[in-house]
Amino acid sequence: MRRTFSIVLAGALIVGVVIAIVQGRGSSGGTVTVRGVIGSEKQAFFDDPAVRRVLARHGLKVEVDPAGSREIATSVDLGKYDFAFPSSSPAADKIRQRRQAGRYTPFSSPMVVATFQPIAELLEKAGVVKRSPVWTFDVARYLDLVARNVRWDGLRGNTAYPVRKNILVSTTDPRSSNSAAMYLAIASYVANGDAVVRNPAEERKVLPALSRLFLDQGYTDNSSEGPFADYLALGMGKTPLVCAYEAQFVDAAVRGRLKPGMVLMYPSPTVLSKHTLIPLDGRGDRVGRLLSTDAELQRLAARHGFRTADPAQFAAVARERRVPVAPDLIDVVDTPSYDTLEHLLTGVAKAYG
Amino acid sequence: MRRRGTAVLAAAVLALAAGCDATGAESGGTLRILASSELADLRPVLAAARKDIGVTVKLDYTGTIDGVQQVVDGTAERAHDAIWFSSNRYLALQPGARAALGPSVKTMASPVVLGLRASVAHGLGWDRTRPTWAAIAAAAGAKRFTYGMTNPVSSNSGFSALVGVTAALADTGAALDTAAVDRVAPKLRGFFAAQRLTSGSSGWLSDTYAADPGRVDGLVNYESVLLTLNASGKLPEPLTLVYPSDGVVTADYPLTLLSSAPRNASDTFRRLTAYLLRPAVQRKIMDATHRRPVVPGVRPSAGFGPEPPELPFPARRQAADALIDAYFNRLRRPSRTVYVLDVSGSMEGSRLASLKSALTALTGADTSLSGRFQRFHDREEVTLLPFSDKPGPPATYVVPERNPGAELARIRNYAGGLRARGGTAIYDSLERAFAVVGEQAAREPDRLTSIVLMSDGESNAGADAGDFRAWYGTRPAALRGVPVFPILFGESATGEMNDLATLTRGRTFDARTQSLSSVFREIRGYQ
Repeated sequence: MRRTFSIVLAGALIVGVVIAIVQGRGSSGGTVTVRGVIGSEKQAFFDDPAVRRVLARHGLKVEVDPAGSREIATSVDLGKYDFAFPSSSPAADKIRQRRQAGRYTPFSSPMVVATFQPIAELLEKAGVVKRSPVWTFDVARYLDLVARNVRWDGLRGNTAYPVRKNILVSTTDPRSSNSAAMYLAIASYVANGDAVVRNPAEERKVLPALSRLFLDQGYTDNSSEGPFADYLALGMGKTPLVCAYEAQFVDAAVRGRLKPGMVLMYPSPTVLSKHTLIPLDGRGDRVGRLLSTDAELQRLAARHGFRTADPAQFAAVARERRVPVAPDLIDVVDTPSYDTLEHLLTGVAKAYG
Repeated sequence: MRRRGTAVLAAAVLALAAGCDATGAESGGTLRILASSELADLRPVLAAARKDIGVTVKLDYTGTIDGVQQVVDGTAERAHDAIWFSSNRYLALQPGARAALGPSVKTMASPVVLGLRASVAHGLGWDRTRPTWAAIAAAAGAKRFTYGMTNPVSSNSGFSALVGVTAALADTGAALDTAAVDRVAPKLRGFFAAQRLTSGSSGWLSDTYAADPGRVDGLVNYESVLLTLNASGKLPEPLTLVYPSDGVVTADYPLTLLSSAPRNASDTFRRLTAYLLRPAVQRKIMDATHRRPVVPGVRPSAGFGPEPPELPFPARRQAADALIDAYFNRLRRPSRTVYVLDVSGSMEGSRLASLKSALTALTGADTSLSGRFQRFHDREEVTLLPFSDKPGPPATYVVPERNPGAELARIRNYAGGLRARGGTAIYDSLERAFAVVGEQAAREPDRLTSIVLMSDGESNAGADAGDFRAWYGTRPAALRGVPVFPILFGESATGEMNDLATLTRGRTFDARTQSLSSVFREIRGYQ
């Protein structure tokens, strides 16, 4: 009996290993391996076993390398990949200048400012923040505080956060990270008198104010995970205000990583980070199409905090996790063109010396 | 027999499956990491990682500026897949560094704060209200307490403290610029006047304090190191942790993949970082090392003070470098550095040549990043005391604040002229060095003083170890506070050198496993 069992076991192991080896070889078993270069915010989505299962059902195994959206647009060797999936439409436009290709925009996420209840209330008193119906963060008033070097302990009646530091939103490094570029897009619009920056004269006009938003922070992290991870783990002392993707905040809620008193604010105006997939060949095109049309993948994307073509999915996730999101985004402005944004980023980079 | 055959077959199949796994990168894998020396305390956690997820981690340790140098000049990537320093902030300011770095995950956190003996903290009222850095600097300038701190280019805790105190004193609300450094220099000089002990590593500073807590009133160090000291039971009086009210600079230990790393290393990297962020592992790290967890689900233990505000770290390299230059050349108490150098016959040839080049590198000839910050500093008093059968005449140089080049060239010339001959009178020469230090201190007492002893063999002339120990016991207390840093080189008497380091509360450095030049640079952290 025992002997039979061990023979069966060994046999089963052999079969299992053979299957594993065949599957490991990729296309020979009917599965196609597709390689993509993506903005790092989507890494968790592509690593999600549920996402991998759905893709496998469609005969796809997707392998991704994370990279900054600017790098994807300019320096990454696209020849190694079947698709590129940067986190903003300017970067996608730039890639399409290099490669004739279609585009899919399967999901998007607005930029938000995450904070803590005491800070939100302080800024409410200072007239920078309003709370109806969702918390909104008035970018023009904020830029005014920055221009006047207002510090936390300079806010009247501030006993909640009497810190000597300037009031500044924490961001990533604008030289390498898309989320900082999106923040710059918002600030440039406001600094330009509520108009998208379009020409060199306007670029010159807004650059000094924009540079300060970054340089006064001192050192900033390379990737969008950095400051938001600080916000989640180290709290108000380190990061009273942090610029993030809405998806990061919702994703943290889905994973149970938010603490009581963490507050989501929508900048007024804000911009949408449009995660845009550029297929570079037929295999990449299959991924783009699936992400845009497959209900299950769209549902999973919503669970990672992204807004998809069907607003009901995102709304359901937010409701279930009690995240007070803005159901309809009203005050959304366009990002500058790739070249203008690039000029602004280069201008800020120069200020770093 | 047949049953055994099946078992063997099954084992073979399992081994095959495991092999597939390794290449498929679902388990297994090795990550070679260049790390800050203080991460040695993670060994149990990494051993568990090997057991739990099959990832083997090989750590090689380095100091702050040397680590930065290795990433920037490309030597790090030759033997490593990733780096794991206490902070990437200074590194990221270097040209080309960002391109060398791949994905990065912060693994734990510890702010740099001041730990003072409870009675001293109480006397200053700092156990009840949090002082600002300005109040701390004023009390230090008035000699109301003394402290030890690590060297800012060797160790991140010293660098973080330097950035923190300067940013707070500058009080601009924003990141430091070069002008701010000059503006607050007088106050900073007050703060650093109370520094009585320096060190190339946070760990050595902590050990030295534990061995002789009477030596200084406290330490500027990581919260984790201070809590560990308190928990060790070695201190007669616990340290009160003083969190400056205007903020701190926090080490966040980013485990960072090098962009040169091969694809399988990046899979291993992702699995290791995911493992380190597991709540259970974060808790284990917190319990073992007293560093703060960086995932929201893990409740920080009660020993941590409330979350202090974070002071901004410079955004520009010029500002950071100006600060380091100012610290060494203008702000800190200047050093008195004595080199007791063996030029006996056995040093002839390549040994003497490497001694000359090690000394020459410290005179500004090394133009690398580490060379720039580890040269003999402005205001430093350097004495070279060569010996063979008997101690030679000491040659003393004081590097001036203006135009240091000429004096540095004189040191270089002197080093170039060293000749090897004769026997080895280690202890006579060491006694001579202490005598020289005594005379120099009588003229000018306010210097951080230490002695380096470099010999490639056993003492065979003059006093022996026992004679020296007896003589040393009769020296005044001030002289017995001068540490000796023996270098193990060639056929050094390891036991005797270790005894000497213990006796004088110095430490030995090993130039048999690395070059004499790198040892000379490492010792700069302790001078």
